[in-house]
Amino acid sequence: MKPVVTRALLSLAAAALAALAADAPAPDPVLAAMRDEVARAHTLTVSNLDAPYFIQYVIDQGDGFSVTASLGGLLARRRNQVRQPEIRVRVGDYKFDNSNFAGGAGGTRYDLGRWPLDDSYPVLRRYLWLATDSAYKGAVETISRKRAALRNLTESNPADDFSRAQPLQYVHELSRLSIDEDAWAERIRALSAIFAEYPGVMDSRVELEAVAGGYYVVNSEGTAVRAAESATTLRARAVSQAADGMVLHDTVTFHALDPAHLPGDAATGAAFREMAHNIEMLAKAPKGEDYSGPVLFEGTASPQIFAELLARNLALPRKPEGGRGGFNGSDLEGRLGARVLPETFEAVDDPSQREWRGRPLFGAYDVDREGIRAMPLTVVEKGVLKGYLLTRQPVHGFSASNGRARLPGSFGADTAGIGNLFISSSETMPAGGLKKKLIELVQARSLPYGILVRKMDYPSTASIDELRRTFATAEAAAHPVSSPVLVYKVFPDGREELVRGLRFRGLSVRSLKDIVVAGDDSIVFDYLDNGVPLALVGAGSYTTESCVVAPSIIIDDLELHPVEEELPKLPVAPPPEMAR
Amino acid sequence: MSQELARNFQSLKEKGDPPPYFLSYEITQEDIFSLSATLGSIDSTGGGKSRTLDVSVRVGTPKLDNYHRVRGAGGGAAQFTTGAQISYEDNANSVKHSLWLETDRAYRAAAERLIRIQTNTQVKVAEQDASADFSSAPPEVSLAAPVKLKFDREEWTSRIRKLSARFQSYPSVLTSRVNVTGQAETRYFVNTEGTRLVYGRGYARIFISASAKAADGTDVASFDSFEAESADDLPDDKTVQAAIDRVAKDVTGLLHAPEAEPFVGPAILSGRAAGVFFHEIFGHRVEGHRQKNEDEGQTFTKSVGAKVLPDFLSVIFDPTRHTAAGEDLYGWYDFDDEGVKARPTTAVENGVLKTFLMSRSPIAGFGQSNGHGRRQPGYEVVSRQSNLIVESSKAVSDEKLRAMLIEEIKRQNKPYGLYFREITNGFTTTSRAGLQAFSVVPVIVYRVYADGRPDELVRGADIVGTPLASFAKILATGDKPEVFNGYCGAESGSIPVSAVSPAILVSEIEIEKKAKSNDRPPLLPEPTVLESGGGKPR
Repeated sequence: MKPVVTRALLSLAAAALAALAADAPAPDPVLAAMRDEVARAHTLTVSNLDAPYFIQYVIDQGDGFSVTASLGGLLARRRNQVRQPEIRVRVGDYKFDNSNFAGGAGGTRYDLGRWPLDDSYPVLRRYLWLATDSAYKGAVETISRKRAALRNLTESNPADDFSRAQPLQYVHELSRLSIDEDAWAERIRALSAIFAEYPGVMDSRVELEAVAGGYYVVNSEGTAVRAAESATTLRARAVSQAADGMVLHDTVTFHALDPAHLPGDAATGAAFREMAHNIEMLAKAPKGEDYSGPVLFEGTASPQIFAELLARNLALPRKPEGGRGGFNGSDLEGRLGARVLPETFEAVDDPSQREWRGRPLFGAYDVDREGIRAMPLTVVEKGVLKGYLLTRQPVHGFSASNGRARLPGSFGADTAGIGNLFISSSETMPAGGLKKKLIELVQARSLPYGILVRKMDYPSTASIDELRRTFATAEAAAHPVSSPVLVYKVFPDGREELVRGLRFRGLSVRSLKDIVVAGDDSIVFDYLDNGVPLALVGAGSYTTESCVVAPSIIIDDLELHPVEEELPKLPVAPPPEMAR
Repeated sequence: MSQELARNFQSLKEKGDPPPYFLSYEITQEDIFSLSATLGSIDSTGGGKSRTLDVSVRVGTPKLDNYHRVRGAGGGAAQFTTGAQISYEDNANSVKHSLWLETDRAYRAAAERLIRIQTNTQVKVAEQDASADFSSAPPEVSLAAPVKLKFDREEWTSRIRKLSARFQSYPSVLTSRVNVTGQAETRYFVNTEGTRLVYGRGYARIFISASAKAADGTDVASFDSFEAESADDLPDDKTVQAAIDRVAKDVTGLLHAPEAEPFVGPAILSGRAAGVFFHEIFGHRVEGHRQKNEDEGQTFTKSVGAKVLPDFLSVIFDPTRHTAAGEDLYGWYDFDDEGVKARPTTAVENGVLKTFLMSRSPIAGFGQSNGHGRRQPGYEVVSRQSNLIVESSKAVSDEKLRAMLIEEIKRQNKPYGLYFREITNGFTTTSRAGLQAFSVVPVIVYRVYADGRPDELVRGADIVGTPLASFAKILATGDKPEVFNGYCGAESGSIPVSAVSPAILVSEIEIEKKAKSNDRPPLLPEPTVLESGGGKPR
């Protein structure tokens, strides 16, 4: 995005740069303010307390447009601008600093509220000044608490607190939101009216959200990054209710980097109709029963489970010192060199790849939020775990980042995530034959039918009520895993029967070792990850563009069970007549 | 709305068990634009159109229905509405569908709660106030045109930028913000008694805020605001700039002001300060539903006909008044949120309590609503204030009032008295579980010396006291009413209100020290680029 720069500000920024080293020409007041204040903040000290050894500013900013409609009427239409800073001040040294500690202090509150949106050098410097002051005071207090706390503990993690990295200069244009708002409002209105034709759909929404902008990273090691980022989401959600009261929901989501790349109305309309039809069918479908046996994941269901089970666990969150309970580590921790997929499988995370078979890849990026370039990374080779997604937070055996810091994390660290994760197998069979293969497996075990899953609820669009019902048991709540949406019984004669109300039991990254066969297809699945369980849509304050490309698969021996939940009653009054 | 109301009501009456006896829909349509800036840079823009639906279903009988208060554990007030967001466009399919879904949801919650209530009334002792749960009200029909938002975004963007930049001349102010909001609100209301309403009004506001941190860690802040019905009626830049200068100077003054000491003695509250004082200390205690709820302190429940204020004071709640002292009021409306026509209500006449603020929830001795059932969309209605107006028959000029204060200081042999110029949001505890006390937060307080020394600004004072004692100590009032417009938060959400009062002289008021932060002010100096004007970073 070309920043909005008035003439006065340009001259101001020019003056700023003239005063600085001549080798840093960046006519961007935001970048200039960040650099100048990082340089000044390096001199912060309180009497004899620790001075900062590392300061980093990240500013996420973007222009957004969103519109929501139901049954042909708009519910909301918004245009908004955001600028979200994240200030990191580290005191101590790389070996031992104020991060990775659970009992930290917050620092002085200055009531800064929202950050200025205009690209004004002096105002941004002022905000950075106050925010840095607050972060620094928090840092010196935190490190003293950490020292005190560790006196009573044997340190559980001998790794350093922060890794070193080469400074990077990467200054690209931000992306700019270009969208015909009125035309999109009309399209969303029309798309939402489709659901009026389906009386079995109890409630529905169609929403569009487009954001464009990017992020800045400036640190005291000399890194200066300005990178573009954009994402558009078109989503339809629908809810129906079965005769016994069970509430069913489904969602269709299209993502693109730019709204212009979304499919046309014919394609989206067809997908929404199919979803409306499916959800009507689901309401009429019989309830599923306990099942233990092979499951075929087809369509987006396969990349969805790789995204949830594999991609998530490739990040290694570090348990903070002094933390008590409530910590969710990775299921793949300590399994480097162990087999996690069948021997024929390979998994590569490649954010540097921009396109795949003529289609822009949603998870592509050059530089992460810590100013580290992301190169292709083989995480699984011949079924064996070869690496993790790493940030600048050192974890067991790894002391350098590989550029996967994609979301802000807690205790001074960032959260790692994938860019474009490619799953492939050297041995495949024609995807069209997978169903036959499933039937063979089922017959070999004398099961009456097999299970086919075409869609998972990941990222989840479940309502709070539904989540409460689904994760009512302690076991389910401890290891939340998303629910299948479209589940079919496949009978030996090839007949498919849609069933509802089934959940997986014990589905985890370990289940992926039991993949029996992969198809020769590749399904691309784009999604926005936000780091929270189930990647629950609407939760979390940041999202990151992610993509998984994977073939259809059959996993041997998975368990499904019917949900046992208290079911709401059906509406007393019949629905109103819909005018066409 | 009317069609869907009739259809759902009919259907629920036929198939519902228990059947409903009353159903109402209120749709609040809002068109808002809000803009704020700091130091010449826009920091937020927002708003848009929206419609919120509140459904009210009553099952049982007016004598005992699902809105009855449940006593004991797990009890409390009812909450049936969720304030569902519905289409802001006049699309019949979309709106009807939302009405249907929300009616069903509210009906089910209502039916479930009625069963609990029927048990509760049997296992608990008889309630002191045996009045019914719902009163009758005449149907009203009034269909005005929806209100349109008049707000020139571009003009305001440049004005707010310019206005907020004025804080650049005050280096001691750490954070500052100027916000402008324009809002058009239209309410659509229908019920099964035949009421059909479309009515509304506009709101516009400029809000100025600034804060700083003193060397000892105390956070100081000051605010000012302007309200009008429409953004066009907000004051010109010159007036707003003067207010910004005042706020900035107040903050700067507070930084260097001595800390207030705990003190009991005479004081003057400015008209605006007195308005907030009356709103918190008196107004909340005459809200009708508090007289019935046995968890409430019920300060005035048995005081009707008795003297509660000095006999030279009267308090009127008048939601039909649009202006006072030349200013637009925030607390007026044509109908309340139960579709009852607004009317003036004299709560206190010459010191004697006459009545309470009533919604359609009756209390002993007061069976009918007086049009004060209000809510923020998404909350259940309770009785709330509108425009609180204090009238005095013992009004003296400002000079005379000040002279009386000085006399009082001397008489009580105190070193000084206090002058409260600005008070912000206070809070008052009306529940029995808490102390029956109030605390209001003065922003700008001066010491007034009897020996002719100039008034001295102090910081860090909170007024504390108990309500009945405070009212007895009002000695006289000024003769110029002042207006305080703001938002009041309580059980039924945040609602716009006004308080109009002359300055008051009290023989005794108590202040205590405010809790303060121990954080140091910023370690590094301000980056200085703003003040030097040259824009040269160091």
